[in-house]
Amino acid sequence: MTATTSTAPAWAALNSGKPAFLRYYAYLGFLAGLTALALLTDGGYNEDTYIFKLVSIAGGGLWGIGGALIGVAAGFMLSLAKPESTDSRIARNLLPWLDGMLLMLVIAWGLSLLEPHQNLVTYEDQSKLISGRIIMAMNVLFIFAAVSYVMHLFAPAAFIGRMGTLSAWIATYAGGSALILRWYESYLIDSEIGHAPVSNLYEVFILLFCITSAIYLVMERRYQARAMGAFVMLLVACGVFFAIWLESLGQADIKPLVPALQSYWMKIHVPLNFIGYGAFAVACAAGMTYLLRDRLERSKPNGRMLSLFPSLDQLDQLAYKSVAIGFPAFTLATILGAAWAAEAWGGYWSWDPKETWALIVWLFYGAYLHVRVSHGWGGKTLAWWAVVGFLVTLFCFVGVNMYLSGLHSYGRLS
Amino acid sequence: MPLAVVLLLVLSIASVIGTVLLQNQEQADYLHQYGPIWYWTFRSLGLFDMYHTWWFLTLLGFLMASLSACLIRNVPRMLKDMRAGKVSIADKSLQNFHHKEEWISAETDIATLQTAAGTALREWELKSTEEEGCTYIRADKGRYHKWGYILVHTAILVILIGGWMSVQFGFRGNMAVVEGAMENEISFLKGTDTEYLDMPFEVRCNDFFIDFYPTGMPKEFRSNLTIIDGGKEVLTSDIIVNEPLYYKGIYLYQSSFGDGGSKLKFKLFPLDGGKTRSIETAVYQTWTDPKTGTSLEITDFKPFNVENMANPGQPKKFKDLGPAVEYIIRSPGQDPMKIKSFMNPFEFDGHNQGMLMLVSTTGDARDYRTMALGLDFTNPKEWQLYNAFLRRIRNADTSNKKANFEAFKSAMEEVFGKERPADFQDLGMRTLQAISMLPKIPWAFIPMPESFEQKYYTGLQVTRDPGVNVVWIGSAILVFGLCIMFYMPHRKLWVVLKPENGKTHITLGGMTNSNRLAFEHSFNEIVTRLSDAFGQSPEQRGKV
Repeated sequence: MTATTSTAPAWAALNSGKPAFLRYYAYLGFLAGLTALALLTDGGYNEDTYIFKLVSIAGGGLWGIGGALIGVAAGFMLSLAKPESTDSRIARNLLPWLDGMLLMLVIAWGLSLLEPHQNLVTYEDQSKLISGRIIMAMNVLFIFAAVSYVMHLFAPAAFIGRMGTLSAWIATYAGGSALILRWYESYLIDSEIGHAPVSNLYEVFILLFCITSAIYLVMERRYQARAMGAFVMLLVACGVFFAIWLESLGQADIKPLVPALQSYWMKIHVPLNFIGYGAFAVACAAGMTYLLRDRLERSKPNGRMLSLFPSLDQLDQLAYKSVAIGFPAFTLATILGAAWAAEAWGGYWSWDPKETWALIVWLFYGAYLHVRVSHGWGGKTLAWWAVVGFLVTLFCFVGVNMYLSGLHSYGRLS
Repeated sequence: MPLAVVLLLVLSIASVIGTVLLQNQEQADYLHQYGPIWYWTFRSLGLFDMYHTWWFLTLLGFLMASLSACLIRNVPRMLKDMRAGKVSIADKSLQNFHHKEEWISAETDIATLQTAAGTALREWELKSTEEEGCTYIRADKGRYHKWGYILVHTAILVILIGGWMSVQFGFRGNMAVVEGAMENEISFLKGTDTEYLDMPFEVRCNDFFIDFYPTGMPKEFRSNLTIIDGGKEVLTSDIIVNEPLYYKGIYLYQSSFGDGGSKLKFKLFPLDGGKTRSIETAVYQTWTDPKTGTSLEITDFKPFNVENMANPGQPKKFKDLGPAVEYIIRSPGQDPMKIKSFMNPFEFDGHNQGMLMLVSTTGDARDYRTMALGLDFTNPKEWQLYNAFLRRIRNADTSNKKANFEAFKSAMEEVFGKERPADFQDLGMRTLQAISMLPKIPWAFIPMPESFEQKYYTGLQVTRDPGVNVVWIGSAILVFGLCIMFYMPHRKLWVVLKPENGKTHITLGGMTNSNRLAFEHSFNEIVTRLSDAFGQSPEQRGKV
């Protein structure tokens, strides 16, 4: 398998070499500018006022664009001083994600223009808000993607595969934009209620779908592993049905934050955790694809379906790659969660069920990496390991909220 | 299976137990939930405080020992590997590489080829040597990859040591301070016992506030605290949930709150029509009526009670029902009942609906049933009207509607004189409701909360944690090590230049210790670059 990206020349020029490098530095400068805005102006970071500073021209506008310009300038100097630095691996890998997030932001901004007038939006009646409709569209698209990917396994026409890929891409952008929109909507309801859309089970489910699907789609584009998509999208589709059920329970409403969650840590801890969960989901799908291929090789070695699959070795590598994305993110998320706990609960570790299950997940994948790296394990055992690992992750994510009580009770179904 | 992996899996399975079995609850609850046999089995295994039992700590000790052994055994070798690195390579090993490429160049000047290769591989760490006529160029990237392993293992060790320091030299306990009062003792659980510890200073709670969202959900808990050290006030500050107070190495966190013994005044309405009287009591106190033996045990007081008044499925409608008192009433010959009684009458659609009471006969708040008493007890005239009416119909035939109406009219005149109140029709309906409801009440009187002087207590979590910074250092090392381990794979390239029949045979071999897929991509790029450098396309043989 060769890593290929076939794109139009103009597009490729924009995404490589200097233009890409400068853009990357513009993003870095932009983010640094916003961080400086948070830390340097008016006596430091204030949770309640920062978001308003961020969207004002004198705040986010000036500091953000100023930062971006300084970033471009710094990138330009660097490219003159060290021409080979423009080929930075970090820049190349991060750029598509930053571009994607910018695009989501732009889509969300466009959609926000369709939002009903503030007077029509009340906490009691949130049915007029449009993020709910976009999420519904995302649900449909993810299910459609799952159907297409599975169909593609049985009817390997390129067209069907492309349909799956396309709908998964659109669904991912729809979900991401809808979450950003939901953030905006929470402020539209009441500026006191406004908060980042990562505060309950319904919201983080949407986040999980988008992250899982984005990680997979990037892999698909790089390594042409479309057969794996069937499993990834099936997992996502199962999640979609769960989210629809949650919505029917009235969990989809925007609710104010309980005091324990009113912290900037929430915006860091939760998304990082879901990068971990999403990556583990992709690893699980890679493991399942591995197991299916292994079975097919033995039962139907000349089957047509087999030709669609990446080789066993590649699937093995893809699972490892996903864990390599997820494990550091999950570790960092757990550590930052401990830091938050130290600040809010008076102790970095309380053996609360959620914490303990996070530790179990961490130990499980730690053991996975240990047998793989130090003892050279691989193949079927580790494919099973990735699948079981995701089940453990899933229990940590949903099961703990449903069956066990503890300090993380805000994720509970009620 | 390797020992370390077994240890990790055993630890995770053991950890599951403590999440399924709620930790550190009341012993009575455990006994009730599991029955005596299981209770004693679990208790003797320490499962109610599992993470501090000797066997769980032993497991952690094993993990530390295993980590140390692994570090001692492997670090010297890894350090040596990273320093050294043979520049030459045997032909045979090169043939076994996954990634390989060959060129035949007409250029015979080795130095020129070497410079060309050096320029093409300028981001790589290069070394070269000449052995037996062959020139070897070795290129490395991420040579420090093995530091990743060393750092990750060290970090886990450091974190465990930090955790041990926290447990050994720190404490974590709870302190409840009533508004206006001082406290310096914390309590915490050790195994199945509660232990106490004196702080080196006193804490006074000056004030406690709760701010609510319009939905009734709490928005903020805020305590204003003063630290008194050696009899002097040294520090006054507000704390909220995510913003603790720090003094002399000790952190004070806002963790809970509750009623701090609010003073309450009740008005008792005797059901025999006698005179009402007022009594004074407070939350957590029991008042007993010497005459009838009826007692009120006040369990809680809440100044706000916001409820969703909409029917299920309808848009939500939140409403504050005002202050409410919870108490248990015991009367001789009666089962105790748990009551939640509101201080103000219930209003609906702008109409006064009289008093509401929630009654639970099991003592469980989930079994509350609403009881509409009909009368608005805050208006003394309504009670008078009720009694006047009751007196008139007591001996009359209640099925006679006309007689009832006359009785009501006469009772109205007795209480209100000639001037009827504006809502007298509502009043009539509610009095009838009271007539059907109140005589069923089994106690001698109806207690109605009349006024209150509210006092909260603030629940503080008080901790000292000398290990916390060690844990943070360990965590930083862990993340740093993981990044090296995952994102800085050690990649090695060898370019072998070998003069052969007046030409030069060039072999390129590459390997990586992780992330093979990405390496494949880079390797193809390198092949292209070297082909440009040598002015030659690669030989199409021996390609894997």
